[in-house]
Amino acid sequence: MRGRPNLYTDYSRESAIFSNNTQKVWFIVVIISAIIFCFLATDYWLLLLTTAFLIAVASWGLNIVSGFAGQINLAHGFFVGIGTYTSAIIGGIATSSVIGYELDMIIWLPLSGIAASIVGLMIAPITVRLKGLNLGLVTLALVFIGSHLFSNFKSVTGGAGLGRKVAKLKLFGVDLESGIQIGTYFLDKNEILYLICLTLCIFTGLGVKNLVRTRAGRAYSAIRDGDIAAEAIGINIFRYKSSAFALSSFFGGISGAMFFTVSGGVEPGTFNLLYSIIFVAIVVIGGAGTVLGPLFGAFFYTLFPAFILIAIKALEISEQSLPLNLGQIERILFGLFIILFLIFEPRGLWGIWFRLRNYFKAWPFSY
Amino acid sequence: MTIFLQATVEGLSLAAIYSLVAIGFVLIYKSMDVLSFAQPALAVVGAGIISSLAVDRGLPFIPALLLAIVLTGVLSLIIERTFLRPMVGEPVFSVAVLTIGIDILLRTFLDSWIGINPRYLGDPFPNYGTLGSVNVGGINLKYLEIAALVTAIVLITILSIFFKKSKYGVAMRATSFDQEAALAQGINVGRIFGLVWFIAGILAAFSGFFMTGGFNTLSQFSFVKALRALPAVVIGGLDSIPGAVVGSIIIGLTQGYVAYYQFQIEGIVGVSLGNGFSLLAPYLIMFVILIFKPDGLFGTEEVERV
Repeated sequence: MRGRPNLYTDYSRESAIFSNNTQKVWFIVVIISAIIFCFLATDYWLLLLTTAFLIAVASWGLNIVSGFAGQINLAHGFFVGIGTYTSAIIGGIATSSVIGYELDMIIWLPLSGIAASIVGLMIAPITVRLKGLNLGLVTLALVFIGSHLFSNFKSVTGGAGLGRKVAKLKLFGVDLESGIQIGTYFLDKNEILYLICLTLCIFTGLGVKNLVRTRAGRAYSAIRDGDIAAEAIGINIFRYKSSAFALSSFFGGISGAMFFTVSGGVEPGTFNLLYSIIFVAIVVIGGAGTVLGPLFGAFFYTLFPAFILIAIKALEISEQSLPLNLGQIERILFGLFIILFLIFEPRGLWGIWFRLRNYFKAWPFSY
Repeated sequence: MTIFLQATVEGLSLAAIYSLVAIGFVLIYKSMDVLSFAQPALAVVGAGIISSLAVDRGLPFIPALLLAIVLTGVLSLIIERTFLRPMVGEPVFSVAVLTIGIDILLRTFLDSWIGINPRYLGDPFPNYGTLGSVNVGGINLKYLEIAALVTAIVLITILSIFFKKSKYGVAMRATSFDQEAALAQGINVGRIFGLVWFIAGILAAFSGFFMTGGFNTLSQFSFVKALRALPAVVIGGLDSIPGAVVGSIIIGLTQGYVAYYQFQIEGIVGVSLGNGFSLLAPYLIMFVILIFKPDGLFGTEEVERV
């Protein structure tokens, strides 16, 4: 169907990951520019984008359970924490106070995801029975139980206020901490991390996009739109609700493992209520139940503090003259964004992008 | 025995504090189907206003307390008018997340005002007796705790009379029963929503005062205390006011007993439960109760149309 990209003549074409060539081209352009960016940008922006990629991975995870399967989960930060500490045990260095086995990244990265999803499955008997707000409240309890456990298992987490170092960056026996020499080009640690996280982000994104069109993905949206009706047409609610939790925690765990490897250390107090809520907010701001939404949300969340900083520098305001410090300004704007998006643009950033895209599709005509 | 009584008294006074926030939660949930995560923040904001009026501005305590309580109620009313009103009819989850946004806003402003050092509320309770407490038969009774208990009982009585007898109370019950039918009977549902938030704000401010009064002091972490009213509401059932009170008593007593008997419990269970386990116990109880009764002890079971 050359020239008529929106005319689908069979189901497999309509549900393809890239339904037309424009999407394919843009996907490749974005990836190539992301790779080129790696060699041009300063360390500050590299680290910022690396964080954005990882937050996107975790938010995609939450989006599976909250956006696609419609189950409220306020404890995503807890699963991120499980992943982090699994990686810290397996890949971290043992000291007098904490345990660690210094294994390879190829072992700790998948295992951290698997450990998180096992925990997700363990609480499944409870989470499957509940729905709506009650489920949200149970997951809220999970946040507090989690932070209590994290601050009391001192041999794993180092204890509250102290924390520990996390996994070492060692892939296939090659130590990546000090950078590697490829031909004449020297890749330093930040660039390596950026590329690893970019790859992780791309594969997660494609995976989520693919999930939507599989049997499981369709079952999730059926459960979201009406769980009793879904059960009536033969969808195994227990199986799909728990698998949604497991998958979501898997991405959370992996993201946590990488995230704190980038930042170097982790303190149990990190995984508090606000940390979990940030992920919910990212999904809401980005657009719940969409594939691109969490990516937009994650970039928005990571980049807007940087832009506030730029704005403050550009306006030549000294930080001391502000009534609030930078972190507080960030939090206030973040809270405001949550409120404003929910009131004025419930489909989130994805909704804005969707309207823009449709506007320019037919530009300069209105339709 | 004295330890047991001491734990009971402290548990009951905690229950009084929780029940005030919990009733606010339930009122809002019953009338609007909104779970307001902003309630704990409103409680600490109330305490903050008291502290700023009584300590920073030098007002006498009683006028400061009353003024702060009214102001918190008004703030709560403003929140409902500006943020919650456009969200009528939206999914429950969206509104819940919206109230989390409000919570972040309120608490950030409050935290920046509180600063690092905890603040006193300027109340006279620490001056009564020996350091604000009196010893009755080996049990250490704090005046603040007694005041919390008495206030909670008085407020709950007033509220239940208000719901039974007064015109607006009956209108509120009608609204929570069926919004459209209430509208058809000429009840101004919008005004009822406002009133509900106003009452919830007042209750939050009272509990905020009893949480942070005396030597408890107001700090950036005070809100976590108010958040523990949430398990109380869930245990009792989200839409039951008696449930909220019973839930609060369960939560308060558990917290009191665990705080005093943690060592013995650890001996029976055989594992160390860690520091501050009494603060976690409410959430564990909520976890267990929700497994067996997903709608809480007194909540009405949700009937759903497919």
